[in-house]
Amino acid sequence: MSKKLLVLALVFVMAVPFFGASAQDGEDLPRIGFLPGVVDPFYQVMELGVNAAAADFGLEVVTQYPDTWGPTVQTPILDAMVARGDLDYIITAPVDREQMIAPLEAAIEAGIKIITVDTFVGDGDYVNGPVTFPLSYIGSDNVEGGRIAGHALAEALGGEGKVFIENTNVGVSTTEQRSQGFREAIAEYPGMEVVGEEYSLDDANTAAEQTAAVLQREPDLAGIFGVNVFSAQGAGNAVVNAGLGGAVQVIAFDATEFAIEQLREGVVTMVIAQKPFDMGYLAVEFAMADWRGVTSLPVRVPTGYAVITAENVDDPEIARFIYQVP
Amino acid sequence: MALEATSEAPTTTPRRTRSFEQRAILTVSKIWSWLFLIVLIVFFSFEGTGFVSIRNSQNILVAITPILLMGLGQTFVIIAGGIDLSVGWVMGLASVVSALVIRDTVTLLAEETERQGLSSALYSVFAAIGADASPEAFAIILGFILGVGVACVAGWINGVIIAKLRVPPFIVTLGVSFVARGVALLLSGGNIVGGQPRLLRDFGNESLFYLVRGEEKAFYILHRPELTGNDLRLLDRILAWPVVIWIILAIILGFVLRSTQFGRHTYAIGGNKEAALRAGIPVDRHLIRLYILSGFTTGVAGVLNTARYSGGSSIAGDPLLMSSIAAVVIGGVSLFGGVGRVSGTVVGALIIAVLQTGLVMMAVEPFWQYVIVGIVVIMAVLMDQARDLIVGRAEA
Repeated sequence: MSKKLLVLALVFVMAVPFFGASAQDGEDLPRIGFLPGVVDPFYQVMELGVNAAAADFGLEVVTQYPDTWGPTVQTPILDAMVARGDLDYIITAPVDREQMIAPLEAAIEAGIKIITVDTFVGDGDYVNGPVTFPLSYIGSDNVEGGRIAGHALAEALGGEGKVFIENTNVGVSTTEQRSQGFREAIAEYPGMEVVGEEYSLDDANTAAEQTAAVLQREPDLAGIFGVNVFSAQGAGNAVVNAGLGGAVQVIAFDATEFAIEQLREGVVTMVIAQKPFDMGYLAVEFAMADWRGVTSLPVRVPTGYAVITAENVDDPEIARFIYQVP
Repeated sequence: MALEATSEAPTTTPRRTRSFEQRAILTVSKIWSWLFLIVLIVFFSFEGTGFVSIRNSQNILVAITPILLMGLGQTFVIIAGGIDLSVGWVMGLASVVSALVIRDTVTLLAEETERQGLSSALYSVFAAIGADASPEAFAIILGFILGVGVACVAGWINGVIIAKLRVPPFIVTLGVSFVARGVALLLSGGNIVGGQPRLLRDFGNESLFYLVRGEEKAFYILHRPELTGNDLRLLDRILAWPVVIWIILAIILGFVLRSTQFGRHTYAIGGNKEAALRAGIPVDRHLIRLYILSGFTTGVAGVLNTARYSGGSSIAGDPLLMSSIAAVVIGGVSLFGGVGRVSGTVVGALIIAVLQTGLVMMAVEPFWQYVIVGIVVIMAVLMDQARDLIVGRAEA
């Protein structure tokens, strides 16, 4: 199923610049708003993708970053974008799958079409799910990302050992799904066991404190999955200070430059990279295709992952997935 | 402790009329947080796997560093009847500023050195102050000074607006908090500021003493034993540098509060501002100094955060704000002012860290910690009120 979608997506990648060629001649072009989840390198790389596609089509993009993750911060910015009255599409990463439905519906009522990137509303199934109004959901499959992390960790450990999850907050769709996928993958190895899960509330200090305590409780802990940069950073710090650097594997999600720095210093041992540039670029292409009357856009495009380790981090094929913000 | 303050403040109930029950309640209200900490430690010693160990004791001391440092300045501010809500984001700002200064100074020094010294005016300035000998150390010191400095400036702004313009501290510090947050995000672009020198990371994570378990010569001072592989697991760091710093600061500030005029003025202002004014205490100037002090300890928390994680993070302090205030309140500082001591805040911070660590070791659902901390905070306020009923506001 997802392969079919990928093929369809690829067809669009190739086909859409064809429309783009005629779009240069001062025609009526769509105006696009870009509303990320929060100001961070992941969305900044996504913005690079959005801007690259917009430049290719000669489009204008209005970008607004919330400074904190949360519906109460994102909604007023969304409302303001709708109130401008000149936008045709809004590309957004809804920060809550339930609470952002009503604000996005208000945008639809104002005649704006919505594409969600990275995160989704409802259950992410825009065909049969409870929410069907967005054009498409372009983003990593986080359950799959968790599975990839789990299998990569299992491979590094030879399929044996106790592992621990350092999560961020309860109720965030992406990190909950990563945790779920990770548990699914680990369950496939009879010699492996998930011995706990803690919530760092996005604070490296808390993550370090919790990990230090878990290392005391489980002296034979073999690996840790940090579901985001802060969790992995704190977990890695505790591991290194316990003299277990290299002995306990720490997997970090999201390839920020800082995460890569931590990889090079041996604080984390593996980094799972998403492809935010692809998400941003494809979303603008989809908007353009829809503007041109294309009606068969895939409603779900999983963008995939790259696994970065100390061995392959200098390989240009891999290094291009590092979230590099100029 | 607080008794010094009483000489300048009116008493409501004469000392001799207290009954046995009153004295009992008074004693309990003074030492209950210590008792509670001891009960917690005993409980987790039996229930928490790996709780009783040198390493865990050190982990807890490291863990309280940011909330305790933020709480130290806060202790003075709250005793004087104020509050500083800006410490969370000011800590993030200090962290970002120090990281930017250190990273850019190291880069700049490397570039200037490459240009072969003599031709560069900038390099000769560096050389004149000895920065070429150890560029990393110079950059770190400069980063720490500017990081702590920017936090002191935030504190000064808080203090001036509160003291001179008579705006309630709650509002002023909230406003400064937003400004600090905005500036920190603008400077960092929402990223963690990496590219820090190795020396900085060592400062944030290495320690004064080292203990190698199960070895003949097991104790090392300052010098970290060369261990590799599995032997590294045997190494315990005793008194990490951040811990050394908070211990020194806590001792100094404890002394200042208990035994100096500065401390007596702080109690007097919190006990009764009018009386303090009439007694000739320069209330405005003192308040400004207190908020600068709060900025200072918060700034130290920020630069130590940069050192520990070898990166400046704008959001590092915000999640810790409420814990730091809780530590102060649990430690017996009255939110109405006039009462409290530094050792109480240390105990308050320890209670929070012991709970967090102990519950993880018991593998209890992590959210229980908030329930328990919440109950402890309310208990602290009740103790405060019980004390007030007996001895009256100013004398406690």
